[in-house]
Amino acid sequence: MSLGVLLVEDDRELRATLRDALQVEGYRVLVSASLADARAVISTALVNRGVDIVLLDLGLPDGDGASFLADLRREHSTPVIVISARPGEDHKVRLLDGGADDYLVKPFSLAELLARMRVALRHRGTTVRPLTLRYERADLAVDLQARRVLRAGAEVHLTPTEYRLLARLVRQAGQVVTHRQLLVDVWGPEYIEHTHYLRLYMAQLRAKLEAEPADPRLLLTEPGVGYRLAEPEEE
Amino acid sequence: MLGLDGRIDLANMALILVLGAGIAAIWSTPWASLAASAIAVLAFNFVFVPPRRTFAVDLHQHALLLATMLTVSWIVALLVARLRWHTAQATAQALRSDQLREFAEAQRAADEPAAQASILRDALSRLTGAEPTLLLADASVDTLEGSAFHSFGPATPDESIGLRLCLQERRPMGPGTGRHEEQPAWYLPLRGLRGGFGAALIRRAAGDGADRELRDHAQALCDQLGAALERGAALRAAAAAREQAQDHALRNTLLTAISHDHRTPLATILGAASALHDQDERLSGAQRRRLASTIVDEATQLARLTDNTLQLARLGQVGLALRRDWESVEELVGTVLRRLRQRDPHHRVKARVEAGLPLLRCDAVLMVQLLDNLVDNALKHGAGDAPVEVMARRVGAAVLIAVRDRGPGVPVAQRKRIFEAFHRGERVDSTEGGDPHSRPGAGVGLALCRAIARVHGGELRLRIRGHGGSSFEMTLPVEDVPEGTEQDGGEGAPP
Repeated sequence: MSLGVLLVEDDRELRATLRDALQVEGYRVLVSASLADARAVISTALVNRGVDIVLLDLGLPDGDGASFLADLRREHSTPVIVISARPGEDHKVRLLDGGADDYLVKPFSLAELLARMRVALRHRGTTVRPLTLRYERADLAVDLQARRVLRAGAEVHLTPTEYRLLARLVRQAGQVVTHRQLLVDVWGPEYIEHTHYLRLYMAQLRAKLEAEPADPRLLLTEPGVGYRLAEPEEE
Repeated sequence: MLGLDGRIDLANMALILVLGAGIAAIWSTPWASLAASAIAVLAFNFVFVPPRRTFAVDLHQHALLLATMLTVSWIVALLVARLRWHTAQATAQALRSDQLREFAEAQRAADEPAAQASILRDALSRLTGAEPTLLLADASVDTLEGSAFHSFGPATPDESIGLRLCLQERRPMGPGTGRHEEQPAWYLPLRGLRGGFGAALIRRAAGDGADRELRDHAQALCDQLGAALERGAALRAAAAAREQAQDHALRNTLLTAISHDHRTPLATILGAASALHDQDERLSGAQRRRLASTIVDEATQLARLTDNTLQLARLGQVGLALRRDWESVEELVGTVLRRLRQRDPHHRVKARVEAGLPLLRCDAVLMVQLLDNLVDNALKHGAGDAPVEVMARRVGAAVLIAVRDRGPGVPVAQRKRIFEAFHRGERVDSTEGGDPHSRPGAGVGLALCRAIARVHGGELRLRIRGHGGSSFEMTLPVEDVPEGTEQDGGEGAPP
């Protein structure tokens, strides 16, 4: 059975274009032009497992999507990708902190959208299934179960904080993790304002794991939002 | 004194009386000490001067003695009283000039008219012991047509009328001023150099209205506020004029941007898309792919242009709040390189970021946009396959980030205007091949870059390189990172 996508987008042209493109890729596409409509669609569709992923545009005529996301998250872990209109928008960061899985900034290419969806679908249901425990890309290999980090086959020594930071990113490999999520999960809730810790430890990690720290291929920065560990190589 | 009776003569005893009168003058009011001296002389006469127990005086010399004693006592009393009055005046004067100075300092610290008014009310109520009422005009009286008044403190309708009259005429009214003497209160104008900015109402207890010193002092306080209000009004007017000019320039820039720069990529997109639409069957697969990729390229270009134009408009807004955070230069540069990878297949861009650079307090989205624009520019204008360098290092209390190319450089005539919105570089290498999509720089790109550098307290300059090419160099101030990077345990992955 093909995967179901709920596309919530108020612009008719963009909605039609994305629907066609996604259908060509083999997805079953449901569309909504407003949050009210999206609520109705999802309440019936989720019962019979009709929606596997939601693409949620911000700035819909009847709301900002935050309450929709909160309602959805109360009962379901269906992945949600937020589509934002401006690069510097605070709103998307709040939604990411509130449980959205990833984001895209308009305009985006189809390739970017498909890549984000693929990663989000892979992480789907992490609440019930075991967490991602292994990560491999380029010459880096991380095994969370054995607590080992290998680079080109040789063991890399990380400090406990560096390791916790890397492990947090591995669990959501390929997806953006916001500054706030990283600070809370690695340092603790009282460190939310301490972005400078994050910068320093990220620089240390890059120095140990990247071939060229100034041109990173693995530990990617999402300016103003957070960090993303590059998508793992397909096994 | 009775114990001395008989042992010393009357004239000497009388001196003790004068001493008493002097002491009385120091301790009591002038009238009381005058009265006390008179009573003392009478009593002395009654008790000691023969014939005793009567007010009569036998000898002329005793009468002279008593008269002299009385006169001397009174003179002493009056002198002491005058001395005390002068001292009191001097103390009051010193207090008032202290108050004026403190008041001036407090006024300088407050920049809101409401805060300044409340400082004046405090000062006046301390000075006079009564709660004053202030009326402030929004602008100078000369331009009063329809302007608003703000009242601070209670006022009866009559008092309000008095305040407005005083504000309009800019002259004091009330007891002792020569105008509206019958009023029970003083109305003092708040005067600036070029107009009245308000009026103060100071209520006086009955019969206590004519204290000229007090009124002069109150007037001095009021005039200080007037001057402060005038200064504030002038500053606000200048800021408003600047803002208006800025708005105007910005609107023109945006109109030019949309009418000119946005049309070119739109025309290309429309051309390619309509070709795909209309000539569908007649196009070869390769032609179709080329048209589609033209649309993708031009739309990307248009997206960048729109981002730049919008961001420039946003930066032009007054009171813009940046989303500043601690950012690492290495990460900012890394982000730009990653975005570039698709556009720069031959890796012409190289980064050299000095190790151990301090974190910068900046808006990451804006900073990435700035670097991205500079690198994009360098790739378009740089010569052929010559490398483009992104270099970052510390220079004193600042971080210098430079984007350097080896292109033909910016012609001398254009160097001054290159950062102005809507200036575009002449296309130099149109016949020398290179990137087929290259075109002169986006009209707002460099203007935006400079605006971004400046809102961060930095600067962006163009430096001409020794052996050809341009270097766009941005300096950003370094701020102190908050203390306390917590201790991390020893090396090694945890077991």
